[in-house]
Amino acid sequence: MKKKFDFSVLARSKVTWAVVAEALILLVCLFVRPDFFSISYQPTTEMLYGNLIDIVNRSSEITIIAMGMTLVIALGGTDLSVGALVAVSGAIALKFLRWDVTIYNTPGDYTVYPFILVLVVPLAVCTLMGLFNGFLIAKADIQPIIATLILMVCGRGIAQILTNGKQFTTQYSPFRVIGQGSFLFLPMPIIITAIVVAAVALFVRKTAFGTFVEAVGINRKAARLSGINAQLIIFIVYALTGFLSGISGMIYSSRIMSNDSNNAGLNFEMDAILAVVIGGTSMTGGKFSLLGTVLGSIIIRTIVNLVYYFGIASEATMAFKAVIIAVVIVLQSEPVRNYFAKHSKARQNLVSGGARG
Amino acid sequence: MNKKQYAGRQSLMSRILNPKFIMVYATIGLFLLIYLFGALAYGDKGFTTLRTFMNLFVDNAYYGISAVGMTMVLITGGIDLSVGAVASLTGMFIAYGTSVLGLHPLICIAFSLVVGVGLGLLMGWVIHYLNVPPFITTLTGMFLARGVCSLISRESIEIKHEMIDALAGWKVNFMQLKDGQWVKVKPTAYFNFNVLLFIVVLLVGMYLLQRTRFGRNIYAIGGNEQSAKLMGLPVGRTKVLVYGFNGLCSVLAGVAYALYVKSGWNLSLQGAELDVITCAVIGGTLLSGGVGYMIGTLFGVLLKSIIPALITFNGNLLSWWGKIATGLLLLLFIMIQKLVVSTSGKKKAEAKG
Repeated sequence: MKKKFDFSVLARSKVTWAVVAEALILLVCLFVRPDFFSISYQPTTEMLYGNLIDIVNRSSEITIIAMGMTLVIALGGTDLSVGALVAVSGAIALKFLRWDVTIYNTPGDYTVYPFILVLVVPLAVCTLMGLFNGFLIAKADIQPIIATLILMVCGRGIAQILTNGKQFTTQYSPFRVIGQGSFLFLPMPIIITAIVVAAVALFVRKTAFGTFVEAVGINRKAARLSGINAQLIIFIVYALTGFLSGISGMIYSSRIMSNDSNNAGLNFEMDAILAVVIGGTSMTGGKFSLLGTVLGSIIIRTIVNLVYYFGIASEATMAFKAVIIAVVIVLQSEPVRNYFAKHSKARQNLVSGGARG
Repeated sequence: MNKKQYAGRQSLMSRILNPKFIMVYATIGLFLLIYLFGALAYGDKGFTTLRTFMNLFVDNAYYGISAVGMTMVLITGGIDLSVGAVASLTGMFIAYGTSVLGLHPLICIAFSLVVGVGLGLLMGWVIHYLNVPPFITTLTGMFLARGVCSLISRESIEIKHEMIDALAGWKVNFMQLKDGQWVKVKPTAYFNFNVLLFIVVLLVGMYLLQRTRFGRNIYAIGGNEQSAKLMGLPVGRTKVLVYGFNGLCSVLAGVAYALYVKSGWNLSLQGAELDVITCAVIGGTLLSGGVGYMIGTLFGVLLKSIIPALITFNGNLLSWWGKIATGLLLLLFIMIQKLVVSTSGKKKAEAKG
């Protein structure tokens, strides 16, 4: 039997709409400003420059966090604390680079503590905070939104108290490489993001972990009864999200070479969750798509860059974000997808697909 | 179980001792405990004066107004992240309308009401009929409202209008009888328009929730939406109306905030939505829906606002400890809730055999 391409699968797939949305936005860019796509090479910094590079570069903080957030949402949860963890990570890193401003009054190319500590301690602390979230959710059985709300409220306070409410700046060049360096002509954050995405994708898809996450997300009790250690899975996922927030925080603070506990990672949790949802992962848990999430994150950044490009106030990007996200979400919603699926050619699918619809 | 509880009318005592109020009592108890601590530690600095107590209301009325609507949304099992942005938008409308366009503030407030309630109803419609999770829908609403704020102006606009000045300046001082004459309480304590608005909104919320069919439906939906639907309750209409009512509360909170700071700023009240949710949760509202009382929310607001007051009275602590204390408070309350729910669950299981 020859198999015809089934369009209703495409219409039902949420990732399709994300691709369509990104394509449409880029089409608008092309239409209005053809030079939006130009990429140039800068010999002095050995980096490629251009809007497309910049979009991927600037989306990296969100993409990295959203990798963990995808798994969290696949478990049927949410993690609101990631933005605060970004602030904590940056605060600790700068604290170790500068420690006490009275000793070294001017920011310069030095570090007070060994650079390895500057890298390891923030990530370790963020992982621990992720474990704390995991403990509340897995062991104490608290709703994820409210469990992670605790660290969201506390986190910025902790970051401020760690640095005594001060804002440190540094000039330490190895630290600068994280956010502003380049590798293979590409900005370093893109490289870090690529490694993180590849590592997470290999971890969840080449081991059974991804399947376990989906099983726990669909029905925790059934997963437990079939021999999956649901608590362990939840622990690992939240700890991973904490760890990834730490990496994101390092990139963020390395970009500005400073800690900004008030604004670092502000609204990152919202953007990360949006990236995941635009990417087609359902908030109710279950199946997830890492590729979709990367795409979602890039869509969000494309909108922001497009708005910047037109010289509209940066805070106003939120309104444009909202409009485009609303369109994507409405298109992805169940009734609309079912409507499209019904009107596509493959009607035989309705019989088998009706059960889940 | 006590037979009396099934009788048509419960005695006042058994109504008060009903175990479903235990979280509310925990909130009130903790508030009194912290107040007592403040009285013992900073009594000599004037913590126990009526003025300090009234300032808890005066400085946090806008949180309280918003928390009333939020409590209802949370009881249905939903969440609304747009409240801070809508309140900020209201402030922006009033500031821009009166100061730049020269409109009367009432027109601006009416316009804000239309926009705020309309957005609430629209979000409720999307949540129920398009089956989009409340978190995502209201997050989009928040981005939209915040973005429109920034489109109007990116700078803080001062509100200059005699009516706003009159409303913001209106206050009633507490009096006391001294030597046969009414004199102001010292140091002066007062309530203003915002406090009055908060109390009125709270009473309206209480009435809607406890005394109307609409309120019963809200609890039923929060308990189990499927069952509520099968019972023939108007689930869709109720949910849409709840989000509409929350939009109304957000706008009123925005008006109160505008009167409080007398300006509109596009980034004001950032993150307020989570503070408001925190107030409701430490007031005993369950995020899973079905449980919550307005009186608990009132004390949740007071409990949340007494912490910054204590830190101000201490004088040595960084204000950031307030955030950490709020987080710990949240943790404490969630743990208590967990214990209460799990013990009452056990009792039910035992009763069943």
